[in-house]
Amino acid sequence: MRKFILTLTALGFLYAPAYAKTPTETITQDIIVKVNGLVCDFCARALEKVFSKREEVNGIHVDLDTHQVSIDLKEGSDIPDEDIKNMINDSGYNVREIIRD
Amino acid sequence: MLMNDVDANSLHVHYSPTAKYSVGWRHEYLRGPEAHADTLALNYLAKRWNMPAAQANLYIKSGLGVAYDGDNTDPAAYTGLATDWENRRFFTSYENRLFWADDTDKFIKHKARVGVAPYEGDYGDVHTWVMLQADYDAGQDDSFSLTPLVRLFKGPDLFEAGYNLDKGILLNYVHRF
Repeated sequence: MRKFILTLTALGFLYAPAYAKTPTETITQDIIVKVNGLVCDFCARALEKVFSKREEVNGIHVDLDTHQVSIDLKEGSDIPDEDIKNMINDSGYNVREIIRD
Repeated sequence: MLMNDVDANSLHVHYSPTAKYSVGWRHEYLRGPEAHADTLALNYLAKRWNMPAAQANLYIKSGLGVAYDGDNTDPAAYTGLATDWENRRFFTSYENRLFWADDTDKFIKHKARVGVAPYEGDYGDVHTWVMLQADYDAGQDDSFSLTPLVRLFKGPDLFEAGYNLDKGILLNYVHRF
């Protein structure tokens, strides 16, 4: 019985760090951009191509219902509003408003 | 881009340095004269109207190259305007094309479409449009025809299939790289 308890305790110490480990999460800052002309999924693919070239960007999400683009930035990164406007324009759209968290 | 209908089969390969224009190569097989045409194609976005819930465009599409059949080779050129308006539910477009290749072929064609989306998909979904295309060829006897078609697209791929009520199958495919 004692050996069994010692074995369980050893296994607990062995595997506890795995369960206690806090999953690393990249804390991202969302920038929401309200965009004019955003009505077509096929055409909006240009946005992904333009934003994917920026190293500050984890990814974007396009919402055709609300006509918004959400930008996920890498931790510690930022993109100036002027750059965002230029990238949206380069994709063929216009910026109506930029909202930061 | 691959386009096929009763009048022609064509392959377009374009590069868009900016959203304002694209440049590329267009090869087409013109079924009437049984001739081929290779053109350097330039599409220019002359004006775009970006509205809160809609978009409209005006393009100028032109090309310059050669047309050839088994016996002759002629210089070839085309130009035309294309315009469209769409929101999440409705679509309408019109384009014309003036094509000249001396003795090989010449035509002026008009094409208009109206379409409706039976549902509004989210970004990344399969999107579906039901459309009706009207074609008018200014030089042909049977110059007017209608083609009901379905447009599907998902991600970077777009596919259209239709049947011209007078003449035959329409089949188009576009891939964005």
